[in-house]
Amino acid sequence: MMRRKLFTLTLLAIVFTFYWVDYGITQEVVPEKQKQETQVEKKTEKIIPSSKNIKEKTGIYVFLGWMWLSIFVLIYILRQKIKEVDRLFLLKFFSSEKK
Amino acid sequence: MKLKHSLFTRRQFLNGLLGGWLTALVGSFLYPIIRFVFPPYKEPDKVVLPFSDFKDMASNSVRIFSWGSKPGLLKRNDDGSFQVFVGVCTHLDCNVTYLPEQRKFFCACHDGWYDENGINIGGPPPSPLRRLIVVLEEENLVIKKEGVE
Amino acid sequence: MRIKNINIGIQAWFDERIGLQSITKFLRGKKVPQHKHSIWYYTGSSILLFFSISVLTGFMLVFYYKPTLEKANESIGRIMTEVPLGWIMRSIHSWSASFMIAFVFVHLISIWLTKAHRKPRELTWMSGVFLLVVSLALGFTGYLLPWDDLSVSATKVGTDIPRSIPVVGCWVTKLLRGGEDVTADTLTRFFGFHVSILPLFILILIGLHVYFIQKQGISIPLGLERKEERVKKLPFWPNFVYREMVVWLLLLGILFTLSIFFPPSLDKAADLMAPAPEGIKPEWYFLFLFQVLKVFPSKVLFINGDTLAIILMLFFGIFFFFLPLIDNRPAEKKGKIITFIAYAFIFFAIVMTVWSLM
Repeated sequence: MMRRKLFTLTLLAIVFTFYWVDYGITQEVVPEKQKQETQVEKKTEKIIPSSKNIKEKTGIYVFLGWMWLSIFVLIYILRQKIKEVDRLFLLKFFSSEKK
Repeated sequence: MKLKHSLFTRRQFLNGLLGGWLTALVGSFLYPIIRFVFPPYKEPDKVVLPFSDFKDMASNSVRIFSWGSKPGLLKRNDDGSFQVFVGVCTHLDCNVTYLPEQRKFFCACHDGWYDENGINIGGPPPSPLRRLIVVLEEENLVIKKEGVE
Repeated sequence: MRIKNINIGIQAWFDERIGLQSITKFLRGKKVPQHKHSIWYYTGSSILLFFSISVLTGFMLVFYYKPTLEKANESIGRIMTEVPLGWIMRSIHSWSASFMIAFVFVHLISIWLTKAHRKPRELTWMSGVFLLVVSLALGFTGYLLPWDDLSVSATKVGTDIPRSIPVVGCWVTKLLRGGEDVTADTLTRFFGFHVSILPLFILILIGLHVYFIQKQGISIPLGLERKEERVKKLPFWPNFVYREMVVWLLLLGILFTLSIFFPPSLDKAADLMAPAPEGIKPEWYFLFLFQVLKVFPSKVLFINGDTLAIILMLFFGIFFFFLPLIDNRPAEKKGKIITFIAYAFIFFAIVMTVWSLM
């Protein structure tokens, strides 16, 4: 129980650190990307996709963090459900329904 | 306050948590989809037309210009001044036309009538034609939404 | 809980009218074997997951894409710059299509190696081969739709290949291109194939494929078959489905993360009169075939090299399709040659793909 809690907390900490650290990194990357975009655009008129503004960029990172958090939580809950349902199957809980 | 019995069983709690969180996750996927499917409608803040194209307009006549994706109606009044309407009927969005002999705007879809100032006077239209502001700046006619600088 | 009661009420309403109980009973009764190779059982539903995502994002993209020569490239540019989060939708569509085809290959190899194509599952295998062809066709037709130099050139090459087939070759090329050359008609035709004709075929084939599987049950690999009664079996619902959901969640996470950090870019619109750009290549799943054509000598004895290559590919394709009828030994024999061919094919495909990238 304690191990699980510790595991989940560490995971949350990693996710949030990733978010905050990455926010710092993207601040430098954003002007670079834009400069690269205009250079490349002039040469080959290639469209390199990127977020238009900081609000959208932040929103995407928040979404990614939320998504991964949800995935880990849901997998944890599903594992509990799997254990429960496997146990019930072994106890032949549903076998009466077959008749 | 300690309860004597649980409000729900452990299975119900687990099922509820699973279902609820899954719904929240799927809901968060829906937001970008909805934003994608309903793109923001951009109406122009203002449209600039060269005055030279319109200075020879006869009075009591109407010329059409583009107001975003809607038709704009530039009308020259008897005294030489201009009035601008968004040429879309307030009933069900059909484009209206101006009948100079009758001095009325007419919508052919359901027989809607507006007078020469865009006020609805006959048929189903519930409100007058939407007005825009027009000013003469240097060599250009600048047409703006009401309230825009 | 009230929600449970409402749920039961709704189920009862449908059951009285369409007999829903028989379906739920079937799903509970359906058994999935558990053994050291059962991990491969997850590949099928993963393909369905990525296909559904491709379809959903495809619906989104088709709202804004304009399938004409003048507007195709520009409309995708608009999706990527003006439409809110359009670049993400396009990225997810592209990535999930690649994932789908990758999993189709993995699924195919796993069925081949576990000999699950043997009696009574020959029809399941054959419908699967058709599904593979349609999936690759979906990828090929989708690749042209941005109408940039690379994709137009790749399409010119790709639709020229069938020309080497004796007798019917020219007709196949004309059918694909909508004429002798790749033109605006080709784009319209490919768009029709990509959004309408091929998805309809794939839905029918998936229906047949899944029906056959329900009818015949999930296969057990050789060696374990003898111990069939002792192989542990889990009910499909809810035990196996919960496990599948874990796999789906992980795959979804990986898909979205890759889509956001590695989105595809868009080159400028194609010029039909311009020379072919350097470094043209098809999508990754065609690279090994592309490389075979590149390295084949232009003349072998008196036969045109390309024609020979195509004939060899066709021959292999036919062998591949009729594999369950060729490998019809009784279940006890291991079919070592068939296994060897499978490994040889994997090795060959990987080597050719890596070679083409060098």
